[in-house]
Order: sequence, then C-alpha cells, then structure tokens
Amino acid sequence: MMKFRFLAWLVCAVFTSNLAAQDADKVAFFESRIRPVLVENCLKCHGETKANAKLRLDSKAAVLKGGISGPAIVPGNAKDSLLIKAIRHADPELKMPSKETKLPDNVVSDFEKWIDLGAADPRDGKQSAVADGIDWKKAREFWSFQPPKKVEPPKVRNASWPKTAIDRFVLAKLEVEKLTPVRPATKRELIRRATFDLTGLPPAPEEVEVFLKDESADAFAKVIDRLLASPHYGERWARYWLDVARYAEDQAHTFAVIPNTNAWRYRDWAINAFNDDMPYDRFIKLQLAADMIETEDAARMKHLPALGLFGLGAQYYKNTDAAKAAADELDDRVDTLTRGFLGLTVSCARCHDHKFDPIPQIDYYSLAGIFTSCKIANVPLGDSARVKRLEETQAKIKKLEAEAKTKANSKVEELTPYLVAAWKVRAAKQQDIAAIAAADKLDAAVLARCVKFVEKAPNGFEVMRKTSAAEKDVVTAAQAMQKQAKTSINKKGQLDKNNKELLDKLFYADDSVFQLSDAMLTKLRNSDDAKPLPITHGLAETAPANMKVFLRGNPAKLGDEAPRRFLKVLAGDDPAKFTQGSGRLELANAIASKDNPLTARVMVNRVWQYHFGRPLVGTPSNFGALGDRPTHPELLDYLAVAFMENGWSFKKLHRAIMLSSVYQLSAERDEKNFNQDGDNRWLWRQNRRRLDVESWRDAMLAAAGKLDRTLGGPTTNLAAVDNNRRTVYAKISRHDLNHVLRLFDFPDANITSERRVETTVPQQQLFVLNSPFVIETAKAFAARVQKEAASDTERIQRAFQLAYGRPASAEESRLFETFLQGQDAEPMANRLSRWERVAQILIGSNEFMYVD
Amino acid sequence: MLTRRDFLTRTATGFGLVGLAHLLNDQQLLATPQAGAPANPLAPRAPHFAAKAKRIIHVFMNGGPSQVDTFDPKPSLTRYAGQNPPGSSRGTERRTGGLMPSPFRFNPSGHSGLPVSEIFPRIAQCADDLCVIRSMHTNVPNHEPSLLMMTCGDMQPVRPSMGSWLVYGLGTENQNLPGFVTMCPGFPVVGPALWSNSFLPGIYQGAHINNSNMDPRRVLQNLSNTYLSQGAQREQMDLMRRLNEMHLAQRGSDNPLEARIQSMEMAFRMQFEAQEVFDLNRETAATRDLYGRGQFNDACLVARRLVERGVRAVQIYTGSGQPWDDHANIANHRVNARTVDQPVAALLKDLKNRGLLEDTLVLWGGEFGRTPTSEGATGRDHNSHGFSVWLAGGGVKGGMAWGASDEFGFSAQEGRMHVHDLHATILHLMGIDHERLTYRYSGRDFRLTDVSGTVNHNLFA
Repeated sequence: MMKFRFLAWLVCAVFTSNLAAQDADKVAFFESRIRPVLVENCLKCHGETKANAKLRLDSKAAVLKGGISGPAIVPGNAKDSLLIKAIRHADPELKMPSKETKLPDNVVSDFEKWIDLGAADPRDGKQSAVADGIDWKKAREFWSFQPPKKVEPPKVRNASWPKTAIDRFVLAKLEVEKLTPVRPATKRELIRRATFDLTGLPPAPEEVEVFLKDESADAFAKVIDRLLASPHYGERWARYWLDVARYAEDQAHTFAVIPNTNAWRYRDWAINAFNDDMPYDRFIKLQLAADMIETEDAARMKHLPALGLFGLGAQYYKNTDAAKAAADELDDRVDTLTRGFLGLTVSCARCHDHKFDPIPQIDYYSLAGIFTSCKIANVPLGDSARVKRLEETQAKIKKLEAEAKTKANSKVEELTPYLVAAWKVRAAKQQDIAAIAAADKLDAAVLARCVKFVEKAPNGFEVMRKTSAAEKDVVTAAQAMQKQAKTSINKKGQLDKNNKELLDKLFYADDSVFQLSDAMLTKLRNSDDAKPLPITHGLAETAPANMKVFLRGNPAKLGDEAPRRFLKVLAGDDPAKFTQGSGRLELANAIASKDNPLTARVMVNRVWQYHFGRPLVGTPSNFGALGDRPTHPELLDYLAVAFMENGWSFKKLHRAIMLSSVYQLSAERDEKNFNQDGDNRWLWRQNRRRLDVESWRDAMLAAAGKLDRTLGGPTTNLAAVDNNRRTVYAKISRHDLNHVLRLFDFPDANITSERRVETTVPQQQLFVLNSPFVIETAKAFAARVQKEAASDTERIQRAFQLAYGRPASAEESRLFETFLQGQDAEPMANRLSRWERVAQILIGSNEFMYVD
Repeated sequence: MLTRRDFLTRTATGFGLVGLAHLLNDQQLLATPQAGAPANPLAPRAPHFAAKAKRIIHVFMNGGPSQVDTFDPKPSLTRYAGQNPPGSSRGTERRTGGLMPSPFRFNPSGHSGLPVSEIFPRIAQCADDLCVIRSMHTNVPNHEPSLLMMTCGDMQPVRPSMGSWLVYGLGTENQNLPGFVTMCPGFPVVGPALWSNSFLPGIYQGAHINNSNMDPRRVLQNLSNTYLSQGAQREQMDLMRRLNEMHLAQRGSDNPLEARIQSMEMAFRMQFEAQEVFDLNRETAATRDLYGRGQFNDACLVARRLVERGVRAVQIYTGSGQPWDDHANIANHRVNARTVDQPVAALLKDLKNRGLLEDTLVLWGGEFGRTPTSEGATGRDHNSHGFSVWLAGGGVKGGMAWGASDEFGFSAQEGRMHVHDLHATILHLMGIDHERLTYRYSGRDFRLTDVSGTVNHNLFA
C-alpha cells in the first residue's frame, strides 16, 4: 500500500484555484483523488514530453480536446466518457494504463464521480504538473525571500518613550493602532524577568538588593551583562535550540535500538557555544560540517560533537520495508534542517511539488541526496595522530583476522582428503605413506600425523578407525569433521579450542601458524593504540551520489536525478552543484550566509519569542505562504540585519532587545488596550509568561537551596529522588519521555519543535500537591528558611524573598503567621510540619510559576 | 475579529461546512501563549455530526492473533493440509511451510450463526453483537510498524495516537479523569509511542495505567497525598488559594492565572473521585464474578467504570510484550483466549445491561494476523496481508461478518479494509469526519488517516 505522509491537498484548492468558493470542494476532490493518479499513471505517455495518440491529460483544455479518438471526457457524463471506458478496461482494444495493471475499483469510481460532478479542473495549462512550473521571479517576491532591508526606524509622536530603535518600530505601530504602552516594570519585576529570561533561574535575594540599590543609569545593563556572563545562560538558551534540534538520546521503537550514550556531548557543545557567544553562522556550519571545517586537533575535538544535530537523528525500525523507513529518516533530516534553520517546510515536497511554496519536488531530493552521501557514525574523539594510530591498528587487526580466517578456511578444506588418505593407508595394510601421499598430492609428514590421528579418531567418528569400513562412510565422517571445524571458525578467523588443536596437531606440529597469528593479534588488541577513544554521535562521509526523485514519495518509483545543491528559490535559477564530498559544507555555507534572506530572520524571530512569549512571525519554523506574516516586518528586518552586522552575536541581540522600553514594560492589564488587542500583538505590554518545566523545576530547587549547579556531563535520571541537577541535564527519551517533562508540555523529541504549547490541567496540579519531588523540595525549603532566619516573622520575609524576589505584604505575613500557629485536628495523620506546608504553598503558587 | 488563522482553518477544513478545528478553542490548541480566553482543552466539544458512539474501548490483542483460528474459519486448510496450492502463501517475515489446519473447532453462534472459534466460548455468546471484519490488511508483517499503524495511523513514531486525536477533537465528559486511558501491565512492544500525543499538546497523551497493581491510590501518578490528612490538606489548599487570589487581584483579570486556580481545585477533588473509579471493591460480587479475577479482567471492569464516567477512549493491552505472537505453537492461542474471553464477553454484556453498549464502541483485534501456513511444526508467522478484527456496539451492525479473505485466509480479498479505513470508520461512528479532524503543525494540516481512509458504511446499524 502506498503511503503518503503529507496532507496538503485539501487546503491547496483554496489557493491555487480562482473558482468560486462553492466549487472549492470539487477542486479539492480533483486535487486529492484525481490529479495524483494522473501524474503517476497517465502523464508519462499523455503529457508534455510524450502525447501518445495525440492525447494530453495535463491541462483542462487538453483533456476536453482529447486525442485521435476524440474528447477524453464528457463533463457531467462519466458513462459516455472515453477515459472511463479506457480505465474500466471495458473495451479490450482500449485498456489504460496500458502497461500496468488496472486501476483499483475505488480509483475508477473516483474518476466517475469527478466527471459526473462536472470534471472540475484548475489546471490552466500554464502551470504544468510535469515541469517545476514555478514563476521564479514572482515566487521570489514573497516577503521572506526578499533580502531583509536595513530600515531607518520610523518617526514617532511620543519621542520620550523610545529608548532604542526597536522601540520606535514598536511605538509606530502602537500609535497607528491607537494603543498606549503601559507603565514600565518595577525594578523587582525587571530583575526577576531578566534572570529567568537569560538563565532560567530566579534571582537570589542578594542580587535583587544590589539592583534595587544601584541608581546608576546603566544599572539594568549591568544586570544583563552579569547574566550573559553566567554559565547558566548557555544552559537556558541551548535548551531552546535543542527543542528545534529534536535532541534525544535514544529512538522511539523497541527492537535493536542502540542508545546514544554520548548524546550529552552535543547538548554540552550547544551550551558551550551559547556561553562562548559563538557567532550563529559558525554555529550552523559546525553542526553540518564540523569534520570538514576543523582540521586542527584541539578545535576538531571540541567541535565534532556539533554533528549530533544529525548524528542523533531518528533511526526507524527497518525490517521488511527498509526502503520506506530509510526514506522516512531522510524526511527527518530535511525537515529538521529546513524548518530549523530556514523556516521552510521542504519536507512537504517529498511526494510532490510543494503546494504553497516555490519548492519543487526535486529540491527535496537535492537536499536529501546530501544526507545519503554521508552516514551516522560514532566519531572517535582524539588528536589526529592518535585517531590515525587507532584506525591503523584496527585495520591491522581486521586484516590479520581476515587472513587468519582465510588460512583457517583453506586448511580446513584439506581435512577430508588427508583423513580419507590416512584411512586408506591403514586399510591398504602396506602403509606406504610416501606412495599414497605422492599419488594424492599430499604432504607425507602431515599424512603421517593424520594416520596416527585416524587410529584414535574421536568418538562420533569411530568409523575412521575401522579399516574394514566402507570408503564412502569414511568420506562422510571426514566431511562431517571438516564441516564441524569449518563452522567453528568465527568472524575473527578463530576456531574453537578443540578444532584449533586438531588442525594444529595435524598440520603444524609445533610451530603453529595459528598460534603465531593469535599471538600477534592478542598483542595488537592489547596495545595502547587499540584502546578505544571516547566517541561522539556524528556523521561520516560515504561515496557521494545524487538521489533520484521518488515519484509520489515512493522509493520504488524513481524519477529524474536530483543534483546535490541548494534550494532554487534561494540559490537562483541554476544553483551550483555541490562538489565537495556530500556537499554538507557547501550546504552549510549557503544557509549561514548573509545573502540568505531567511537564516537571520528565522533566528532573531526565535530569540524574540523567548523574550516576549510571542514571536514576530507567529509560525517560527514556517516562513512560507502558509506561515503567519510578521506583525512588525520592518522590526524583524532591522533585527536580522543588525544580528548579521554584529557578527551574528546572540549576546548583542539579547542586550539590544532587553535594553528597549518595550522589553521593560510591565505585564499590567489595561482595559482599553485589552479590549482592542487582547492578544497583545502590538506589544502594549510585556506578556506574563509561565515558566517552562525546566525553569520551574530548577527554580524550586534553587529556592530550596538544593540546586546542584554543576555544569555539563553525562545525562541524569530525572526520576531519581536525589537528582538536584538542572533539568537540562536530564535524559531525553524518544521512547518514553519522562512523565514530568511530558506533563508540563515538554515537546516530543521525535520531531522538531518550534515552541512549547502551554496547557493547564489538574494532573499538573496533582504533581504540585502530591509528588515526592515537590514535597521533598518543600521540606528542604522549609529547613533552609528556618535556618536562615530567627523568628517566624523574619522567616516569612525570607521565604518570600527566595520564592518571589520580594518581601511579603502585611496581609500575607498575617495570613501565614496565623497558618503557622494553627493546630492540627488530627496531628498523628500529618507528616509535614506547618513550615513544610507553607513552603509547599509558596513553590506551588501561581506567583512562583508565572513571571510578570 | 476573524484572524488569519481562523480564515485558514475555516477555508481549509470547511468547504461550506463548519470545520471542527475552529470549534475547538483555536488559541489554546494552537498554543498562542496569550491572554486570550484559554478554554479548557479537555472540555467536551460537539462532533461534526450526530455521533453513534460517544466513547471507545479498544481491547488490543497485541502480538497478532491468527484470523483462521479465531473468527475466519477456513475448511480448505484441512483439505490441503501440508500442501502449498497456488495463492496460499505470500511473503511474510519468516519462511513458512505448508497449510496448517486450525487445531480449533468453529461453532455457529447466536441467532446469526456467526462462526466463532471454540477458544472463545463466552464471546461466542455475544455473537449477535459482533461485527467481524474479515478483510483487514496493513502494510508490513513486523510488530513495531504495524502496532504504530494500528494505534497512530503511521509506521513511524511521529504521529498522535487515535485516542489522542479523539480527545483533541471531542474533549472528554469527565474533568476529574484523564480523557484517554491506556492499560497495560508494563509496556507492549514499542511502548508509549502507541498512546503518544506526538505534536498535539501533552495533555492528549494516553494516561498509562499499569494494571498489574490496580491500587486505586497509585494507579494515576501523584493521585494521593500520603503526608497530610484530607482536612490538613484542605487547610493548606485554602491558604494557597488565598495567596493566588491576592496575586490575581493585583493583576486584574488574567485567564491563565484563573485557569490554574480552578485547575488546582479540580486536582484536589480528583484525588478522591479518581480513586473511586479504580476501586473495584465498589462492584458487586456478581459483577466481579462476571468478569472473573485477573489483571486483564480487572482492566476490563475498570474500562466499563471509566466509560460510564465519561472517559472518551480506553485501550487495554492483552499483556506486556506481545502475548499473541505464537510463532512456535498456535495451540497457545487457547491460553491467550482464556485470558481475554471471559472479561471481554463480560464487558459486552455489562455494557449492554447498563444501556451503554449502544453508544460505546468496542474494538477487538491485533496489529495484524497470522499465516495459514505453518511456521516450524505448529506455529504461525505474522501476516499483514489479511486479518480479522471485530467491532461491537456504538452503532455497528451485530451478528455480521464483513468482507472475506481468500480461500486459505492469507490475504484480504473482498471488501478490503486497510487500517486507515478502519480508523476513518471509527471516527465516523464517533461523529467525526476523518478528513476534517486536522491539526496545523508547523504549516501543515495533519490527520489520523494521513491522505487515505474510506468510511465503510456497510458496517453501520
């Protein structure tokens, strides 16, 4: 059964036809049921390149005109349509498709239905389904394919509000929409927001105090710089990228999965890259081609883990339909690559030309061919000399093993003639070993040893001992012995112990060749050069080769060759073919280029999203026709150009965004603004944001004083009660994602993710109320507060500072003191102290989970 | 205001009809983390058209039961025993031998006379409720891709499961319980991807219940508090609520904050109400005897209690691993049948007695079938070319067999139904047009049935 993964037919009609809306369903029917069948079964002989019987079926007009037998169809009358007769095989002279089996009954009835309903057909002949049929000039006029322009920030009426260029872009829109920005955030709000934004952790009460007391003009800039310099910055921002990279350490299925136990090296590489403020263009290039870029040892070892973006890609279960599974893996690579870096859904073109964007099917296979020209590999991490020695040693071992195997095999082959001859010597009674050896072209010394052996042939082969036995039985026994010896030879050319002794005894007397090669092998295997190096999950080049287009996505139906090259819409009408190996480096250069209109835009939009909870382009991984248009196109361009001009520096981008007035707005509600723009598209306030699961869990541990701030290293088990490491270090599974991560909207790592969905359900609150994690953390938090302050009044203040970065109000103090003084009705039933209960309330509350 | 996305959703799914997608709270489901109204994503929602079934129970015979030993009798296997007449064999995972007759007798059952294997004496008593499909087929004869196909409609682990789609589309009737519950003692092969939400929000994932220990306090994660009495916890909750309300009051109206306050209260109630549903001691001795005792029996009884309380989708695995995978000896099907026969029959009877069967759909079957030819001396290999499943209740015709396999039961021949067709048909019974239940995931509209699926109206009562 053919299988097509992508659904676009339905929506397509709306955009590609200019028919009245009520006909849209008929066109949709054509698109989903008729056009694909025509493309696959008919157009080869009745299309642009070939028009058998002068019939073409690639446009509405051509179908109506028909060929030598007349019109192919009569719209509204399937019964009288020639096409139906042909595909029904009603007329033995007119059976179509001619060389293939009859179309399935349901397809035939689809055609009848289509014709009876009037044969809606949007194909006007200008956009042939055969060629790429794209008006490239027009296609490139789409906003996201235009180079981002450095726009002068607009003039605004309220000149006092903007602090930066960003603000002028935002305010200009607000003024058009007649919205007024709300008040600025308080310093407490600001430092809490900034600290979570940049590090995913709450500010320490002491850090809040320093900021409150700092009345200098650049007080907030100092906070930003301090946070950007913190190693926790990388832990926060690399995790965002890992969502896009669908980072995980295993595969989803059960059988034959080898866990990627070194996956953490890629995670740590990403964390370090952010901490080092690695330019984004380099960040891209290394993930695609670190092995081709870095030749010097230290840098190479440092950056090879970058290849984990694809080295950790999905590997599907391959048994019966391996070709399909391999094709699905390519889909994962192309999808992650193009949505992740370019905001383009190139995978939609796996089975057919993209329905909405100027991406012909061949472009998909041009990219896929790059991934078939390399393979996922465990790459050793060591200096090049050491890796070379390791590889040479491994090669030597392999060669010796192969030699040993050949030798063993050929010697074993000689067993039967020698054993039979030895028996003959005994049976002939003359025992003229030399004569028999000469007659049978055997070695006399070996034969002599064989004669002795045959005399005492082991149990199971007694027949060889008997001189009276029939020769054929002896031959059978000798062959059996040979077979036994042969099957005992393993991959490394070693025989099992008994058979090895047998051959040694018969053929080599004392100076066994086997013993010799064994000794050499053992020495090699134990040598320092053979000691394995740590590995990282990366890519290795294979023989580069272009793919052929899979017609309708079917690996068994091959179309034109797709040269390895970049996308036509971005690289021009005749994109240069990639010639360096697989072409990964050339691909990386094409993506990480200032001339690429998408790369910088897509990334600044992602960064904006994480600072505001809402991106400028609402579909961060789709900048195509079906994606959202930017709310602030000029601002997006301004940010993209500035990002590139600033050397693709993330830290400079964060700084520019966070120093703006718009970032520093409060999250306060304003009724007038809200009624007009409830979604805050125009940014009249900052958005109140819920902490993602990582920050939320880390913040609980931080408040409790339990957070283990160790950086990097192998993956940790989030379910272990004593795991106090940051959540970014937890194992991420495609097979069985940790329950807490899943519950709090962590994305499924089988597919690239552009944003966290946000759900609020009672199961999450059960975790707050009852989970051992929250309760143990609350206990630690209570113990900390009790230790750090002397009276309940002071403790309450301390607890609020730790949890929320602010003092408790008088009302709050009163409520909590009253609670602390309360008496339990049934004290024996309760195993949490009043302070522990308070601590649980504080970390379980809304204020803890949401950031203003 | 009609947003661009609304427009797309309506035009994309509508074609003059009102699409489901925009009935769902668009902002919530498409997860714009904004101040707009966050409707409860689990709240019940109207189907596309009148639903015949309001809920579904999938009793999953994981491992792949043999059709010719259960619901698709083939006398020719006896006639040609040991032989390989033309058309009797097609490629499967392993090499198989000649045709092997079923070791089991088939009995005409019920008024309809539907033939049922002797290994299901009690299910046979429900024959007049069964709608057997003898013409199922799937793509490959391997467990993993076929399990995924049956549960998620794709051979790779990259799509949401049917239960997740149903709750996404229809919500669920009981807010104190998960909308989609899956029961397996441990994991089946593949594991949690079989009830995955994939790109749908995480709350649509099936809640996995390990029914090897149906302790009501522990079946759902974090369901009960072992530290505080109910009174002490309520006192604590009251202070938390007070704190949250003061926080909210300072900020004016804010939907996500309000939603979480409500959700916290719901969680408090859920601790007690959700425990109740798993407490089988609340059932009468007669009912418990009807189902019998055992893991699978308990799961079936819990399934009835769940759907009775409005849970949308329940899935019960025969056991962990792949219990029906009888490569070595097909006679072992008798043991598996003994596990499921009584409780499945009890479930049908019990649902019927309570008036629930008419709008509860029960699906029985595996991920594929088995070969009519022998593997080794007495086993059968996987078979994707043809197999049988049955439906009951929920608007299907009882006492009927749809479609037919070939003379030997190797491949589906008449009225062929692919798994996509089964899914389309099930969704239709649940009031959903399978082509209109879509989710926009990064620029594409996905659905359970991919680009396939035909509703089989012949099965409907």
